[in-house]
Amino acid sequence: MSHDRIFAAARQAGTIMVTLLGLLILTFCIGRLMPVDPVRAIVGEEADRATYELVAERLGVNLPLHTQFIRYVGDVVRGDFGVSIRTGQPVISDIAHVMPATIELATFAILCGAGFGIPLGIFAAINRNRPADHIIRFLTLIGHSMPIFWTGMIGLIIFYAVLGLVGGGGRISDYYIGLVPETTGFMLIDAAIAGDWEVFGDALNHLILPASILGYSSMAYITRMTRSFMLDQLGQEYITTARVKGLSKGRTIWHHAFANIRVQLVTIVALAYGSLLEGAVLIETVFSWPGFGQYITNNMLIGDMNAVMTCVLLVGVIFIALNLLSDALYKIFDPRTR
Amino acid sequence: MYHMKAMIAAAVIGAACWSAPLRAETPPNMLVVGFSMNNILTLDPAAITGKETVQVLANIYDNLVSLDPVNRSEVTPQLAESWVVSDDKSKITFTLRDGATFASGNPVTSEDVVWSLKRLMSLNLAQASFLKTHGFTADNAEASFTAPDVKTVVITLPKKVDPELIIMTLGIVGPGSIYDSKTVLENEKDGDKGAAWLTTHSAGSGPFVLGEWRSNERVVLDRNDKYWGDKPAMRRIIMRHLAESQSQRLMLEKGDIDIAFSMSAADLKSLEANKDVKIETIGGSGFYYLAVSMKDEKFKNPKVREALRYLIDYQGLDKTVLPYFGKLRDRPIPSGIFGALPEAGYKLDVEKAKALLAEAGYPNGFSTTLRGISDAPFLNLATALQATLAQAGIKAEVITGSGDQIYGAMRERKFELLVGRGGGGQLPHPDSNLRAIAYNPNNSDEAKLTNFQGWRTSFFDEKLNSMIDAAQVEGDKTAQTKLYGDIQGYYADLVPAIQPFSEVVDTVGVRADIKGLALNPSWSTQLRTVTKER
Repeated sequence: MSHDRIFAAARQAGTIMVTLLGLLILTFCIGRLMPVDPVRAIVGEEADRATYELVAERLGVNLPLHTQFIRYVGDVVRGDFGVSIRTGQPVISDIAHVMPATIELATFAILCGAGFGIPLGIFAAINRNRPADHIIRFLTLIGHSMPIFWTGMIGLIIFYAVLGLVGGGGRISDYYIGLVPETTGFMLIDAAIAGDWEVFGDALNHLILPASILGYSSMAYITRMTRSFMLDQLGQEYITTARVKGLSKGRTIWHHAFANIRVQLVTIVALAYGSLLEGAVLIETVFSWPGFGQYITNNMLIGDMNAVMTCVLLVGVIFIALNLLSDALYKIFDPRTR
Repeated sequence: MYHMKAMIAAAVIGAACWSAPLRAETPPNMLVVGFSMNNILTLDPAAITGKETVQVLANIYDNLVSLDPVNRSEVTPQLAESWVVSDDKSKITFTLRDGATFASGNPVTSEDVVWSLKRLMSLNLAQASFLKTHGFTADNAEASFTAPDVKTVVITLPKKVDPELIIMTLGIVGPGSIYDSKTVLENEKDGDKGAAWLTTHSAGSGPFVLGEWRSNERVVLDRNDKYWGDKPAMRRIIMRHLAESQSQRLMLEKGDIDIAFSMSAADLKSLEANKDVKIETIGGSGFYYLAVSMKDEKFKNPKVREALRYLIDYQGLDKTVLPYFGKLRDRPIPSGIFGALPEAGYKLDVEKAKALLAEAGYPNGFSTTLRGISDAPFLNLATALQATLAQAGIKAEVITGSGDQIYGAMRERKFELLVGRGGGGQLPHPDSNLRAIAYNPNNSDEAKLTNFQGWRTSFFDEKLNSMIDAAQVEGDKTAQTKLYGDIQGYYADLVPAIQPFSEVVDTVGVRADIKGLALNPSWSTQLRTVTKER
């Protein structure tokens, strides 16, 4: 590896560290400025001053802010992310439990979103201002603008309560709890490993509705962006030249126009996936889905800073990882960046 | 290649469309209960704070005594088969029943009881306040709780107090929960008396044991096969975290849950017509009230406070905002508790309020703020109160926020008007309410007695404090009942800083085929008697 590359890698690592540290400082300050009191969450409304002081001392919240922050960062550097106030468990083990639930939901949703969104966007662009384009734009406008908790609730009423096609809240029906050993935390994978296809089907039944609703929302965004990117390309002179030279419409669109929007698509799909991983708190609440979004929100509401800081750090790492992945894909799709 | 693509497409479509058969109801030996578990932070009885945790632990831990679900003032035996109060009312001696064991198989002994009570006081967490109020401390715990033999527990009262109050306290989840001391000590870490372990494990002698707790996901209770009493019909109880009221309703309608504990008024109302579901209401603890800060010059004036008393639409709120949540009550002792007087009968009377405000020097009213939590029913209560206050010229700006923001301001004594909920009531004894809502032993800012709502509102009356203290230690029940009647009259004459307008009730949705459910006030329902008629 050349010196230049080593230098570039070191600079990138440095940028990442500074970004994460900045993120931690910002989160810590916001967390401490928020009018929530973790001590009160623990001791309750009726506790007297002595009990309050005892717990405040145990949590260290009466120390100066900079001391609390330095102590936290020191622990993080040593690999100790602390214990959550809400669960009494190490934050890392909490996240290891909630993250697979969110990854399962987000992955299914992004597959739906990108799988339908990109072809629909291309189709709409090709048929610009025709009825098909209007219909797709209308559907994506609805998907983009409807509040997701409302869509979720309507989905539950229609597909769960009225038609009985899908499961209700949670990741699995109650009578299947504990039947499959938790190997990976991914319900579908664990059920498949155990060979229990009844549990697999039940888990799929519970996943399909919230994931589809999230996927619809992502699809709306991806479709509109794809359409816009494609229209931009289709208006370029090189497309006209290709068609004049006798290249078929399909080849022109697929091999030239689409090839040129792949880099942009990678970016928006990666960002959409990152947002889904960050947690779809509303859909998780409506579907009682024990995921990352609910975890971070509920802990934020009681000022559980160990949990909140670790979650924010993780979100930062996810976005950085997705950015690095996008960069890597750029190099595949766009030779100019190699 | 074409075939492969076709196969992949078929597999994806097949997986998406395939669905396992969905069951329409819960299994006959498994009870599924739904409620919001946002407030469950620990399952150690000494450290709990919310009623949701009480609902879980009431089925895991036994107490020396229990409180009757219907007539709450009646104390019945549980781990203790009998008890005697000494003639001078300074000691209570409990005799334990034979044959009671913990889930571990260890016998329940007097050492376990004493250890549990000493642990409560030495950890000094949330639930210790119930006994600290009556003079128990970590320092005097050694002398206060003793075990002369394996079946006898003696509690020596550190100060003069009605022994009945202590017995009742030992009947509620938290301060009265008895631990298996051997099991807890086996799991002690760095001298923490098992605090870390008990957050997610149980060591009780109740009909169920804690199988699993996943924060904000579920609590699983498994039947305790070593339970000393009648075996529960349910092999397992699953308590589901369902934060959304509508999700609870839909799942209850579908039969995916058997009991829903925290539904909104709108969802409860919509279920009234459903013949597969029963709606049951049971007494809760505390009141809905309008509080004023007497640090504020305006509200220091009793005429202004009296005007506010006539600007509450008691009957209107009862009919429109508080169905399922509260029951009309304008006294500081809930109905059904000994000593409780009938309603004072306050009514919305704008003209009278205007006259009182004019007498106080505010003929055109004034501007102020009214705080309330941004959840139901507080937001609706605040809006309704804002409207009635406006009729007398009081322009109240509604400030909403989280519990921390609203009650935090009250604890800091930095508020003007506040619509809230509270006022004791965990014990079926008037002292529990009066001490929470009216008592204030020291009104100075430095005292920081935030656990007394009297202090939070800067409401202080020495005579009232003495009357509450005297009534509590009165040994003759008839005389004590009269004293509590006098206190309510005097409290009304003082025109207090906290005016209750409703007493809290809890409403639950239950599948119609659930039998043997004896709902217990304050979310302490024992589910061991539940069966399903399927």
